[in-house]
Amino acid sequence: MRDHGDLEAAVAAAALCALLTLVLPFEPLRMLLAAPLCLFLPGYAISAAIFAARPIQRRQFLLFSVGLSLAVLALGGLVLNYLPGGIRSGSWALLLFLVVLGFCRGAALGRPKRAPAPVSWALPRPNGIQAALLAGGGLALVVAVVLAFTPLTATNATGFTEIWIQPLAGDNGVRIGVGSAERDDSSYRLVVNFGGSREVTRQFGLEPGQREILTLGDSAAVALGDEAIPVDAILYKEDSPEADHPFRRVSTWLGPAEGSE
Amino acid sequence: MPPEAGGIAADAATFKAMEAGSAQRKRSRSQSRVGHLAPLVLSTGVGLLLCSGADALARATLSSAMPIYWLGILVLALPIFYRLTSEDASARERLTLVCMLGLGLYLVKVFRDAPVFTFSDELVHAFNANQIADHHHLFRDNPILSATPYYPGLEGATSALMKLTGVSAYGGGLVLIGAARLVLVASLFLLFERVSGSARAAGLGVAIYAGNFNFLYWGAQFSYESLALPLLLLALMALAEREAAPREALRAWGAPVVLAMMAIVVTHHLTSYAMATLLVALSLAYWYVRRKWDPPNPWPFAIFGILLAVFWLFVVASATVGYLSPVLSDAVSAIGNTIGGSDEPRALFQGGGSSVAPTPLAARAVAVLAVLALLAGLPFGLRVLWRKYRRQPFALLFGIAAVGFFATLALRLAPAAWETANRASEFLFVGLAFVLACACIEALRRWRGQRLVRPLIAAGIGLVLVGGAISGWPWDSQLARPLRAAATAGTISSPPLSLAQWAESLPDGRFAASTADAGLLLDPGGKMTLTGSSPDIEDVLEEEALAGWMVPMLRRNDIRYVAVDRREVGSDSLRGYYFSRRDRNEALLPPSVSSKFNEISGVGRVYTNGPITVFDLEAGR
Repeated sequence: MRDHGDLEAAVAAAALCALLTLVLPFEPLRMLLAAPLCLFLPGYAISAAIFAARPIQRRQFLLFSVGLSLAVLALGGLVLNYLPGGIRSGSWALLLFLVVLGFCRGAALGRPKRAPAPVSWALPRPNGIQAALLAGGGLALVVAVVLAFTPLTATNATGFTEIWIQPLAGDNGVRIGVGSAERDDSSYRLVVNFGGSREVTRQFGLEPGQREILTLGDSAAVALGDEAIPVDAILYKEDSPEADHPFRRVSTWLGPAEGSE
Repeated sequence: MPPEAGGIAADAATFKAMEAGSAQRKRSRSQSRVGHLAPLVLSTGVGLLLCSGADALARATLSSAMPIYWLGILVLALPIFYRLTSEDASARERLTLVCMLGLGLYLVKVFRDAPVFTFSDELVHAFNANQIADHHHLFRDNPILSATPYYPGLEGATSALMKLTGVSAYGGGLVLIGAARLVLVASLFLLFERVSGSARAAGLGVAIYAGNFNFLYWGAQFSYESLALPLLLLALMALAEREAAPREALRAWGAPVVLAMMAIVVTHHLTSYAMATLLVALSLAYWYVRRKWDPPNPWPFAIFGILLAVFWLFVVASATVGYLSPVLSDAVSAIGNTIGGSDEPRALFQGGGSSVAPTPLAARAVAVLAVLALLAGLPFGLRVLWRKYRRQPFALLFGIAAVGFFATLALRLAPAAWETANRASEFLFVGLAFVLACACIEALRRWRGQRLVRPLIAAGIGLVLVGGAISGWPWDSQLARPLRAAATAGTISSPPLSLAQWAESLPDGRFAASTADAGLLLDPGGKMTLTGSSPDIEDVLEEEALAGWMVPMLRRNDIRYVAVDRREVGSDSLRGYYFSRRDRNEALLPPSVSSKFNEISGVGRVYTNGPITVFDLEAGR
């Protein structure tokens, strides 16, 4: 491969990308490195090997670089599926690197010495006005992307409150979550009844988007007998016109553990 | 130029001046390459900003932003269409333009849904991708579309990006389908250019293809066909190049075809059958034109394609037979019934029930005009094709596909054949785009001196783009809807998404849910969720009383959680994911559809957000 700088560069880039995607912590950075490894280099190496002795047009080569990389990804999962360890980050990185290495080696063997690389990377150099127009387009695109991914206030959306209940491990109490997706601040009263024998009341307020998670266990001193006891939690919305009317209700059962019946 | 080239020794100053001149020429060549692209990059960016702004207004539920959205589409596309009609653009510029068009329109779809998938198929495939990433193996069950795990090309590919980068299925899928979209438009351009011998025709052909009904939304979703179709076009492009290559290069051009075919077969059933059919048709077209089976007749590829598809279908993905056969047999019987008069024809532009606003008359008119424009161009294009390209097997195939496209339009009138027609149109439109590009080139040649001809052709393609988008996707769903919203203390999610986020924290347990809730419970909820009529989850969720068969059926299917959604829209796989609106009446099912589950002994009512309540069938066990 020594006479073919592009092939050497492809292998080096594949090795670097494979290694760094495995060790770097930040997703966007890893995506920047994984994108060429997954979506360009395997196809580049395969195209270089296929067309080692018969140069093709640059744009065809570039298209094959992306298109055949997609094909390698689609088939690569199948290959890894039957290898020990299955589909993991390490096995993907190794497979893609080996594909690039193997086909680059094949390309180097088949390509005449000092043959030019199939793709040159000379970028056009715009003048001032062109650069301004390109920058304007790029800026508009960035703003569009940011706008698309930014949650906005949905003025006419119907608000709601969610509530859930879950027995604690060991069935010695419950965890109750209340989340407000209402349009305004809301105040709530939660009444939890343990088997009709004990009642716990909590009051709290929530801003839109806020959650309250209550753990009612030891403090409620739930005595568990041989039979499962029902737990009912009724939520009242105190600032609603029907403050005494149950607003939400959830329920579950505590003990006995499964299999003790 | 070196001094010895002219045989005259140049002094240092002259040589320096010559070098400077050469650099100047290179720079100006480079600048002229950017010349027309720069304003088009700006218009594409502005168009996308308008579309994103319109989606933002729609998500904020502020006003109808539809005019801004369509303006954005036109600002994005029309300047590109206009430039593609010009005589002086280079092939490279045209290729760059069609790539910009393809990616720009892909971003329109991305902006509508960000930052989660909201198409029902996307949620199914995202679930499969997560299953592969979590369990490190392919072919894991999918409770909603059981055939999909057996075509793991898309999800396997996505898992590479997910595992290597740590991104979600959404992030990986977004990048992957973006790359596939690039391959689609570039392959189509090079295919058309090879067949027509004209980069101008190729550029216009791709522009027209962007007007196919599914290009803007359905074909841009994270779904197996969105990867398989670009690979098919890549294979066709390589076959077209192979045809023109010298004999000793035939094998080299065949290699990418084989690789792409293998990838198609493991990625999507229908595309693999379309591939086999196309290759057979192409082999016959070669024989018809050249009367011989020698290379470059692609019959060996046709045989290989058939064997691969059949092997995969019967050895690996036999579940596909049960999945596809009802769709196809229903389509056939629906055609018969509609023609025979026993079934009413399907109404065009029908919405999703009485609660969905009908498509406005003006939009319907645009869609119909677009189809009429396509139809009007067809005979002219076919005439050009017959005159200039009838010795070309690919061109013959394109001509047949173009006529076939209009046959599928008729199928859209038969209710159960609609989906089959819709799927077929994406493939057939390739031929139609080529034929109409031929017509456009002929018009540009014949009326070369006329000032209006280029704007008219660009406007015509714009009409086809907008009309296609209206025909292919419901009017009320063109723009984004509120799925997540900003609130004082953070971001709030719609009721179904809140349900899915809550379910994500549950350790295990299978769900039964209505269609939209089931999709979100798959992804991001990550829960095995059954829906629909087999098993009959629909009736369990919608009946007002608990029938004797219901609980045993739920237990037989190992269902622990039943998510009851009182919103009628909960069973709508297109509209059921979002916040309901205060300014619109939301149809609700009677309270008893939910309260009937309280009768089950030992049941827990473990989650509710108002319209949606989850019952735990094992709470008291």
